[in-house]
Amino acid sequence: MDCNTCDTAPAIVLNKPEVVNVTLTITTKAKEMLDSAFEGDMSHALLVGVLSGGCSGYMYDLQIVESTDQDCQELSVDGFRVLVPNASSHLLDGIEIDYVDRLMGGGFKINNPNAASSCGCGESFS
Amino acid sequence: MGVIKLNSYVLIIRGSDRFKFVDGLSTNKVEGDCCTVFTTTTAKVIDMVDVIDMGEFLALVGHNHFKNDVLEHMHKRILSQDIQIGDASQNNSVYLSTTDIEVTDSVTKRNTWRGWVLVTPNSELINETMDLQDFNEYRVMNMIPHQGYEITSNNHPLACGLGHLVHEAKGCYIGQEILARMRSRGRQGKQLVRLENPVENATTLGKTHSLAIVRTSI
Repeated sequence: MDCNTCDTAPAIVLNKPEVVNVTLTITTKAKEMLDSAFEGDMSHALLVGVLSGGCSGYMYDLQIVESTDQDCQELSVDGFRVLVPNASSHLLDGIEIDYVDRLMGGGFKINNPNAASSCGCGESFS
Repeated sequence: MGVIKLNSYVLIIRGSDRFKFVDGLSTNKVEGDCCTVFTTTTAKVIDMVDVIDMGEFLALVGHNHFKNDVLEHMHKRILSQDIQIGDASQNNSVYLSTTDIEVTDSVTKRNTWRGWVLVTPNSELINETMDLQDFNEYRVMNMIPHQGYEITSNNHPLACGLGHLVHEAKGCYIGQEILARMRSRGRQGKQLVRLENPVENATTLGKTHSLAIVRTSI
């Protein structure tokens, strides 16, 4: 392979998805669990992102962070600081963050009106 | 048997997330050189690609007719990842050799399950010694599926002879749930077979035998 050529290979112009001003909600149960996770330290934020992969193409990514390098929009939802990366904002507008309390498959769940389908474990969507 | 020029694209994937990115979108474990299959959420084939680890970047070599589908598949899943995609298709040619031949340093050569894949700069063309009919005969003899014949968007990898490129334990990727279910339940629906001629609905015709994808109880 001509690697000099590769270095100068024309970059493919990507049509980046439109950045959407996200609104989201958190259920009462999820708020309780987030309160417990934050332990009162509201200097931290809940990062709600999307990664590629999973059985259905996209995977949710929930993290409690102090800050992030990602280009994010910052929301205040029920007293929580929520960060949503602009790159995945079009996939997250209108979501509800819920918490399901059961032994198997329990934990935080995202109800997403943008998802056409989800995989069996509920962690990925398309 | 010889060397044939393939109608291939060469995409260049750069960025620190390149392995994770390609791994998460395809059926095989991508940690270096390998062959893998991009599949849809319904586990249908988008394209089979040879992944060539060039150190600073990955080169993906696939079938030209499927390039736009692969690009669309990848584009919308880059999101926040460190990924840059370039297209070196116009500057390089891709050949498949059934034997290990001598090449110069400027030719990238990889031994794959189909034979030796050679990616050459256009300034250094390789002499073709096999025509399409010979290539098809080689494929029939060795049960090697090819894009546009057996490897199409109508089939899933297990049906078109690419089961060995579907890693059993790598974890989630697009289409994994369906492929895992087919395997665990022993129901893949169709499979690639080589049959003696005449073969009804052959996908590749050979002189004495042909390839076909047939319904199976397996």
